[in-house]
Amino acid sequence: MQIVSKPTILLLLVAAMLALAGIPVEGMAQRFNHGGFSRPGAPSQAAPARVPQQPMRTESRPAPQPVRPEMRSAPQPARPEMRPETRPGAQPVERPSINGGSRNYGNHDYNRSYDAHENVTVRQNVTVRDHVNVYHTGDYRGIHPYYYHPYRPYYWGPHWHPLGFFLSALATDAVLLSLNNQRYYYDDGVYYQPSNGGYAVVPAPIGALVAALPPGYETTTAADGNSYFYFGGVFYVDTGQGYQVVGAPAGAVIIQLPVGAVEQNINGDTLLVYNNTYYLPISQDGQDAYEVVNP
Amino acid sequence: MVKKTFVFLSVCLLSVHLPAQMRRIDTVAVSILDRMSAVIGQLASCSVTIKSNYDVASKELGLVKHSDEEQLYLHGPNKLLLKSEGDRGSRDLSFDGNKLSYYSRDRNQYGQIDASMSLVEMIDTVNKLYGIEFPAADFLYPSFVDDILADSKELVYLGLTRVEGKECYHIAGRGQDKTFQFWISEDAFSLPMKMVIVYTNKEMNPQYEAVLTNWQVNPDLPDALFEFSVPHKAKHVRLMPLSTHKK
Repeated sequence: MQIVSKPTILLLLVAAMLALAGIPVEGMAQRFNHGGFSRPGAPSQAAPARVPQQPMRTESRPAPQPVRPEMRSAPQPARPEMRPETRPGAQPVERPSINGGSRNYGNHDYNRSYDAHENVTVRQNVTVRDHVNVYHTGDYRGIHPYYYHPYRPYYWGPHWHPLGFFLSALATDAVLLSLNNQRYYYDDGVYYQPSNGGYAVVPAPIGALVAALPPGYETTTAADGNSYFYFGGVFYVDTGQGYQVVGAPAGAVIIQLPVGAVEQNINGDTLLVYNNTYYLPISQDGQDAYEVVNP
Repeated sequence: MVKKTFVFLSVCLLSVHLPAQMRRIDTVAVSILDRMSAVIGQLASCSVTIKSNYDVASKELGLVKHSDEEQLYLHGPNKLLLKSEGDRGSRDLSFDGNKLSYYSRDRNQYGQIDASMSLVEMIDTVNKLYGIEFPAADFLYPSFVDDILADSKELVYLGLTRVEGKECYHIAGRGQDKTFQFWISEDAFSLPMKMVIVYTNKEMNPQYEAVLTNWQVNPDLPDALFEFSVPHKAKHVRLMPLSTHKK
């Protein structure tokens, strides 16, 4: 008689037990790799629980688990964790969390990876475009989550002036622009038109081309994936022959807004409106910023 | 000699022109996941309904999709009840802080493992040693965001979309052996609503999808909920660790 070897018996036993227990032999393990939780050694098998003696029954189907009265509290609307009321001087009762609390909130090591030789680019702007637009269509309401912060108007130095500002004379190096039969003067990122014997600051004319931008301009990438320049409330694109004024592109993120922006509540969010452009207050990498949106 | 020189120069040129691999991590995506993880980390208890679909590869039929519906109850620091119905059968998993009990209602069989440890330690250890799966358990790990970052070649925020009628942040990423997407609710709690994983290292790229609904935050769950009583005539079976020699 052929003797079955011990390893074979063990293997058959494992397969049988697993089949009986209904546990998938090849279940997918935890979906992502996690470190630091494996305990040395396998947990031991619990001794079989003592089954209380029951009178013989004639039914052939397995008895269902004893039905207990519904012990769950009535469904409650989700609410933030509330501390129980305490008497003066009493210590509040701390309830342990289900996992001990998250780690490294807002403080991650971006260089921790499976390959120490890889370079990591931490992008501040989302530019997944390529050939397929994977972004969601519809009204552009902002890529970044809404994050309110108080509006603090910004001034781009002593030569910069907000809309409507009046000057009796311009600097000698101001540049004359002619666009759509209109005369404009450009000086240090500000556009002027003659007014009442002097010059008043006006919105930058779309299409105007200037040779250079003053120091302190911002660069941003908008939802269309293109790069833009921003100074003093005006957006530009680099044409190669200079910087051309364009309309505020949706998705562009800028840090500073000029004086003259007005707060407006839209669907519960407080947006800033400047020169007919809506700006959503956001936070980017811990800094207050604004994103151009079309609410 | 000429041949050796040619080979050497070719290798040099190849080394010069091969760019270092770049990873692309979107800080907006990270901040959303951080927020979610922070909220979960401060929950004293919760319950959620999880509907999952997963592919099983078949040589004859390709990928066959299976599904389960589960109700998960958690109570910090170390209690869990999972009630599962679906293609993997009707079964319960209960953990009272000292013992994990597995009960198959279909077969009226149960098995138990001594495990005096925290909730996440139990989930992690039992999964690795016994292959017992806890749905959407990844979200419970305190190091979830760090672990995602460690594995991700790309992690981006795609914008807002709706899951089960709820506005959600949509995040996508790519790791060594999988691509993944998360949908996180765009409300005060920032809880996970949906997860999709495509395993790119497996034949036919099977998928796993889980939709999480009916979140209850900090419900008052009695300890008795997590205690296992052996049902009448239930047969005890031993839960065997995964064999190290499995194919």
